[in-house]
Amino acid sequence: MAMLIETKTPPLKPLGKKETEVIPQATKRHYVWQVPIRLTHWVNALAIPVLFFTGLFIATPFFSPTPGEAFERFTMGHMREFHFIFGYVLLLSIAVRVYWFFVGNNYARSGFPFFWKPSWYKAVIHQMIEYMHLERGYVNIGHNSLAGCSYAGFFALCGFEGVTGLALLGEGNPGGFWDRVLGWTTPLLGGSFRVHMWHHLAAWFIILIAMFHIYIVLYDSHLYKDGLVDSIISGEKHSIEGDKDANTWIS
Amino acid sequence: MLDDKGVVKDAISSGTMWRGIEVILQGRDPRDAWAFVERICGVCTTVHALASVRAVENAVGIQVPKNADIIRNIMFLTQYVQDHVIHFYHLHALDWVDVVSALKANPAATAALAQKVSPSWPTTSPGYFADIQNTVKKFVDSGQLGIFQNAYWGHPAYKLPPEANLMAVAHYLEALQWQKEIVKIHAVFGGKNPHPNYLVGGVPVSINLNGDNAINMERLNMVHDLIVQAQGIVENLYVPDLLAIASFYPEWTKIGAGLGNYMSYGDVPQNGIGDPSKFLIPRGVILNKNLGEVLPIDHTSASEIQEQVAHSWYDYPGGTKALHPWDGITKPNYTGPKPPYQNLDENGAYSWVKAPRWKGHAMEVGPLARMLVGFASGRSDYKEVVTEALGRLKVGPEALFSTLGRTAARGLETRLAAKWLLDEYNKLIANLKAGDSSTANTTKWAPETWPEDCKGFGPSEAPRGALCHWIHIKDKKIFNYQVVVPSTWNASPKDGDGQKGAYESALLGTPMADSNKPVELMRTIHSFDPCLACATH
Amino acid sequence: MEVLERKPSTYDILRAHGVDRRTFLKFCTQSAAAIGLTSAMVPQLVAAMEKKPRIPVIWLHGLECTCCSESFIRSSHPIAQDIVLNLISLDYDDTLQAAAGFQVEEIRKKVMKDYKGEYILAVEGNAATNDNGVYCTIGGESFTNILLETAKDAKAIVAWGSCASNGCVQAAKPNPTGAKPVYKLITDKPVINVPGCPPIAEVMTGVLTYLLTFGELPELDRQGRPKMFYAQRIHDKCYRRAFFDAGMFVEAWDDEGAKKGWCLYKMGCRGPSTFNSCSTTKWNCGVSFPIQSGHGCIGCSEENFWDNGPFYQRLSNIPVPGIESTPDSIGKTLTVLSAAGIGAHLVSVVARKGVRNLTSNPEPEKSEPAENQNPENRGN
Ligand code: HEM
Ligand code: HEM
Ligand code: NFV
Ligand code: SF4
Ligand code: SF4
Ligand code: F3S
Ligand SMILES: [Mg+2]
Repeated sequence: MAMLIETKTPPLKPLGKKETEVIPQATKRHYVWQVPIRLTHWVNALAIPVLFFTGLFIATPFFSPTPGEAFERFTMGHMREFHFIFGYVLLLSIAVRVYWFFVGNNYARSGFPFFWKPSWYKAVIHQMIEYMHLERGYVNIGHNSLAGCSYAGFFALCGFEGVTGLALLGEGNPGGFWDRVLGWTTPLLGGSFRVHMWHHLAAWFIILIAMFHIYIVLYDSHLYKDGLVDSIISGEKHSIEGDKDANTWIS
Repeated sequence: MLDDKGVVKDAISSGTMWRGIEVILQGRDPRDAWAFVERICGVCTTVHALASVRAVENAVGIQVPKNADIIRNIMFLTQYVQDHVIHFYHLHALDWVDVVSALKANPAATAALAQKVSPSWPTTSPGYFADIQNTVKKFVDSGQLGIFQNAYWGHPAYKLPPEANLMAVAHYLEALQWQKEIVKIHAVFGGKNPHPNYLVGGVPVSINLNGDNAINMERLNMVHDLIVQAQGIVENLYVPDLLAIASFYPEWTKIGAGLGNYMSYGDVPQNGIGDPSKFLIPRGVILNKNLGEVLPIDHTSASEIQEQVAHSWYDYPGGTKALHPWDGITKPNYTGPKPPYQNLDENGAYSWVKAPRWKGHAMEVGPLARMLVGFASGRSDYKEVVTEALGRLKVGPEALFSTLGRTAARGLETRLAAKWLLDEYNKLIANLKAGDSSTANTTKWAPETWPEDCKGFGPSEAPRGALCHWIHIKDKKIFNYQVVVPSTWNASPKDGDGQKGAYESALLGTPMADSNKPVELMRTIHSFDPCLACATH
Repeated sequence: MEVLERKPSTYDILRAHGVDRRTFLKFCTQSAAAIGLTSAMVPQLVAAMEKKPRIPVIWLHGLECTCCSESFIRSSHPIAQDIVLNLISLDYDDTLQAAAGFQVEEIRKKVMKDYKGEYILAVEGNAATNDNGVYCTIGGESFTNILLETAKDAKAIVAWGSCASNGCVQAAKPNPTGAKPVYKLITDKPVINVPGCPPIAEVMTGVLTYLLTFGELPELDRQGRPKMFYAQRIHDKCYRRAFFDAGMFVEAWDDEGAKKGWCLYKMGCRGPSTFNSCSTTKWNCGVSFPIQSGHGCIGCSEENFWDNGPFYQRLSNIPVPGIESTPDSIGKTLTVLSAAGIGAHLVSVVARKGVRNLTSNPEPEKSEPAENQNPENRGN
């Protein structure tokens, strides 16, 4: 670790000043995000807002009713339909991503919270210090350890949404597949009504993570010049001398 | 405790169950409170919910629409009729009626008796009574007496001839079948019974005479027919049976008077709950059997209605003797013996019931109190039913101060309740005709519209007597909630001055034939229609 | 009415209710198993049951409001009278009982002895477990002990209502008496949970008559509830469901939608989370049910429903002490705070570093990605 800190590059140049100092420029391109990663990323990025929107509608139908006959519309029906369709889409996408965790390139596993390893804690602390200095430090080619944590949290929350969502879905068809597979989880969470509440609360946390994520990605990309935004489309990231290439099976 | 002549010398009344509903309510949404308190009791279901919504409306300042008041009155009176009839036939009659003796009855003679007692009742044929007798015979012969086991059959205190017993058994069964009909009125307006739904600001049900998803003509007709049917039961079955049975027990007009202090909060508002002068059941207090004066009640006065815990298993902060319910504290502190125990110590705390007092006096509440307050206030409708009954039993008004008087008062007010039911129904129709179909006032539904700190009280006259809920709302949540229930008054233990409660004092002086078979005590206690679940809550 | 020569036995009664001999034998076999008899003893039991009288029922009342009894007697088919006089022998019920005091306790002891392993124990209300159960005593004995004692030799246990099957109102926070439902106290026997506050009358009598008619426990779900009444949600059978799907909701009490019978979801209806048969069996001989009379379901047959409030809110508050607000208010607050945090971060970055000009970025050269795909590189 110490060695890595030594490779720290000089601070970035303040606004307005003439470019007297050398600004570190990324010089190397790496193919980091393979197709399944990028694909599932954008599927998730589409599914989450749809799920959140339809979910909020399910919770609080905000279109006010207009007079008419029930058969003329199916507003709640469609919202729920979309929610369930995108719920399945999200789960499928996550399944692909989890599979790729094991078979993909090493970047596919980068940043994952290997909390049983001391080195992981060091990496986290190091990353925090980097962020607090608002300096470039080194860039991870792959996810950094903090990003990895939030992605792991994101996937865990999605998993939770999947379990609770499908258990709720199963309530409509007692004795059916999801009821038999997941029905037992409902009493553990305090009953059906509480499951709605937890599902709803977890949805907000997913949105919070997504919000931070987008900001940090833009911030990173903008300040560190590592091509981060482009990378989730093209798959390629840029690096300079001293950036950490996490090209091992883990971390 | 009996003296050597078999007469009750001392008695204590203990409530041995407590659930802490007042404690559970703290911190909750005041609009939910009705549902919690309704579960205080399933027998007088409805009345606690009613008192609760009134308390919240009083606190935050909501005026309910006229229709809501009328529908609440209909539900309330329905509860009276149902509860009183059930009490008479299923919880009280067997203190007076010997089921086993009915086997000796002659069905033809029973039929003759029944025709005399209630001439316009359809089921009075000899064959009908023979059938009932066979049912009873089969049941008794089976050796499995079920709920009728180990009762005091054959006890010398039973005075009815076999025919009267057989008639009463038949009507026990008829009333059992009917009571499930009358409560359909609750189902229409409140969705179910027991425990129909209430709403702060009105009633949850809407009226739409041009739709079939709310109260419409079909629903109204159902209510109307159930009311008419109920009147039939009250006029042709309940009250005639009551008077017939009473005529066999004249000595019970001299036993069981008790305190002689009577209180009614009044109910069935005609101009909103804030105007007691327009209540159909009047409000007032009678002290020391003095029918010459009816005293007013102020529910908000810190010195009128108070609760004491000197002999109850609760704690008040050091030195506090009595608290007005707005400042009431419910902090359990059991000091009785560890179960299983044989006896409770009457010098210490011995009950989960608190001791409520009005200006320091112990009070009897309930049908007799209402009858007396109505009578003493000079209300002609009350006077009419009372004088007629007294005339038929050939006794004077002093007979009212007794166990039998209490039981009779319940029947007589049921006549009024059944009549008012139809009046209220007609008022509803008239109001609808006038174009008003509103059932809820939602201007103050949102807690944001409430004051930061407010207090309210919700009075009612439950079947068993004066009921009131006091609420203190702070930061839109329940800060304190206190319930003082009819059975709390009647089942009250002694207070700090050693003043007994209504049950305790009514039992004094009761002669008993056999101290192991206390049917006489049950007659007096049952005449109050005791409700433990209510009393302690 | 026909008068039988001898006392009507269980078999007589079951036969009168259309039970054939085969079912009766099955009933006996199951009863034998329930009381731990070997199959060799079944014939004796059959003989005994053919002569034995109506099934005795002990109906206990703990911490409760007596409403379940009140509901029970509202049953329209069968009517309560038929059950009590012909179907069972309701030997102990301190509410409906004609006798009182110690005579009643005597009966309970006698039934437990005479009908060891044969009686049905029906429990209404629940037991206080704090402070030696002093919050509910009967004749000086704690209800908790009475319950345990009576349950020991019961053939089957029926937990009436939400009190007995879930805990209900007295178990709502902070549960001052330590009230516990039956299944938490009696773990060595199947308990049939019949939740609801109260349960529908015909559901109660339906469960009892099923036991007697078919001679076996009805099929129970995961939570011990008879599937025949509790398998489906109110919502899935609600006649207002079309309005739910259409998105037509009551927005305020007694509004246009309320008068037209639109869906009560936005008024806090718990129908989507409540398993009960209100929307099919309905209440009071099918007259109505809460939703039909304009009020949302409050979920009265669900565990913890009292703590899932406020009732008029679509979602329960988060049951964490100190938080107690809705997921939406938590979510919104956190989102606003985070946005503020992000904004502050942005400002501090701009203040310290200035805004960089992205366009001055040169294109970096391409590296060899091949090594990354090399599985040999796996491992740390
Ligand atoms: C992963 C698969 C998911 C499934 C199967 C699923 C399923 C469900 C179901 C069945 C409901 C209840 C609908 C109803 O009661 O009619 C629901 C509600 C909801 N869902 Fe999901 N969901 C999933 C993921 C998500 C995600 C990822 C989010 C948000 C980011 C989300 C947000 C919500 C919200 C806010 C509600 C409303 C909850 C309430 O108030 O009752 N869901 N979902
Ligand atoms: C403008 C939108 C977005 C951009 C530019 C973007 C960009 C990126 C980039 C560059 C990465 C790699 C991150 C790194 O190594 O730190 C990434 C990963 C990720 N993003 Fe986004 N993202 C966007 C929106 C979203 C949204 C809406 C979500 C979900 C709600 C999301 C969820 C994720 C997840 C879970 C990962 C980890 C991917 C993996 O390892 O498979 N992103 N994103
Ligand atoms: N006491 C009492 Fe109640 C009544 N009537 C309540 O307010 O019985 Ni259950
Ligand atoms: S379940 Fe509800 S209705 Fe039944 S006794 Fe308990 S509180 Fe009363
Ligand atoms: S009223 Fe309640 S149960 Fe009926 S459809 Fe609406 S949400 Fe579902
Ligand atoms: S409140 Fe209870 S009565 Fe039925 S509709 Fe809901 S379960
Ligand atoms: Mg109180």
